[in-house]
Amino acid sequence: MNLFTPQFGGYIYQMAQGALVTLELFVWSFILTLIAGTAIGIITLSRNPVIQLVWRVYSSIIMGVPSLLVIFLLYYGGSAMLTAVFGASRSFDVTPFGAGMAALTIVYAAYVAELVHGAAKNLPRGQFEACSALAVKPTAAWRHVILPQLARLALPGLVNIWIIVLKDTPLVSLAGLNDLVAVSKIAAGATKEPFIFFIAACLFFILFSALTSQLAARLEVRLNRGIAKAKA
Amino acid sequence: MSALPIDLALAWDSLPAMFRGLTTTLLVTVLVLAFGLVLSIPLTLARISPRRIFAWPALLFIVFFRGAPLLLLLYFVYYGFGQIPALRDGPLWIIFGSSFACAVIGLTLNHMSYMVEVVRGSLEAVPAGLTEASEALGLTPRETFTWIRLPLAMRYGLKAYQNEVVMFTKGTAVVSVITVVDLTAVANEIFELTYDPFTPMLTAAAFYWVLVNLIRVVFRALERYLNRHLTAHEDRSKPANSLPQPTPVPSSIARWKASRSLGVPAKGQAL
Repeated sequence: MNLFTPQFGGYIYQMAQGALVTLELFVWSFILTLIAGTAIGIITLSRNPVIQLVWRVYSSIIMGVPSLLVIFLLYYGGSAMLTAVFGASRSFDVTPFGAGMAALTIVYAAYVAELVHGAAKNLPRGQFEACSALAVKPTAAWRHVILPQLARLALPGLVNIWIIVLKDTPLVSLAGLNDLVAVSKIAAGATKEPFIFFIAACLFFILFSALTSQLAARLEVRLNRGIAKAKA
Repeated sequence: MSALPIDLALAWDSLPAMFRGLTTTLLVTVLVLAFGLVLSIPLTLARISPRRIFAWPALLFIVFFRGAPLLLLLYFVYYGFGQIPALRDGPLWIIFGSSFACAVIGLTLNHMSYMVEVVRGSLEAVPAGLTEASEALGLTPRETFTWIRLPLAMRYGLKAYQNEVVMFTKGTAVVSVITVVDLTAVANEIFELTYDPFTPMLTAAAFYWVLVNLIRVVFRALERYLNRHLTAHEDRSKPANSLPQPTPVPSSIARWKASRSLGVPAKGQAL
């Protein structure tokens, strides 16, 4: 196939559109995952047995089930679930985008919560005690003392989750989302040039994760300012 | 919509098909694990080799197959290889023409690239003093590798390997897109026949959950077996140990977490 036909240019344009959809889904999912995961992580630090039970059941199920199944479950069953919750008087349309976003958030929030647990466990007990000794209100203590340190401790794990979520985003194309992977599959089928389009799509993911690991390294330097490096 | 969204009769009827799907999933998993384990060791050795002619192609391979999403890799193998005329007319078409083999190839490429990090990390975790000591005792480099570094690295890397195996087992759900009839594909078929959004997916989810937890149990047993010398030593030395005990971890959750992250099974925990 001639690479400089208008038809080929059209596919490139569609791939760019698909890449935007992928990025949009990924960014939204990751932001929601971060918020939900941190909240769940903080709530489940409580010793309340009911909270512990719910958390253990949730994390065990989520960590034992493929995310693809969760995406399908929410996509196929999402409108039935919403109707059950909000009453039958309203009807709900579940888009692939919404179902994918919800599924990725539900799945990876558990991993983020686990990470927050680990980081909170690594904080010296004295930090919490000093806050209460200085009569710092719990909300202020969390905001100004605990959370900034959690961010520093949890960053390497968060970068891992960021990359895993990025590579799980294409799964939503199986629920019918017209993202980069779906478009490249169509283009590859129509032009009989699978290598060009699939390699281009792969390169997009590789470059994006390479770019973000650079950014993460910078963020790590920023969050670790004021912490003395261990001398090797 | 009733309170319980699962149609138990349908779930019961779908069990034989689900078990067939599970067999395929297991077959893919076992094959890829075997290939990945065998192929990742030479790939790791190439990656950490001081010679650039080995190290650079290995690095390129790893960056590509680690960075690309699994779904794309499967498309790549399944739709891409059929476009190469030499392959399509050659004798190897028996392999590349079957979707099952394509799934195994795609997953293996991804899995072995991940395995390189696991193998490399655990090989590097072996203290340098041990290899120096075995050199000083006159062991050849090959003997040092097979009898000193590899057995120790296996113990260090077990946890990371478990994570990778669990991640990858869940990842096999994707092979349904290239027409391999695995557990997810069976669940999807039943959904398309019945339009019951919950029952087939939740049944398949239960199968996956059991599978993943079986893997965890097997790994825990393996870890206990490989580290049996450590537990024996700990048990003997504990009563005699007069060193100050570490300060107790405050909350029960933290303690539970600590025991989990160190891989020490809690007392009385059923396996």
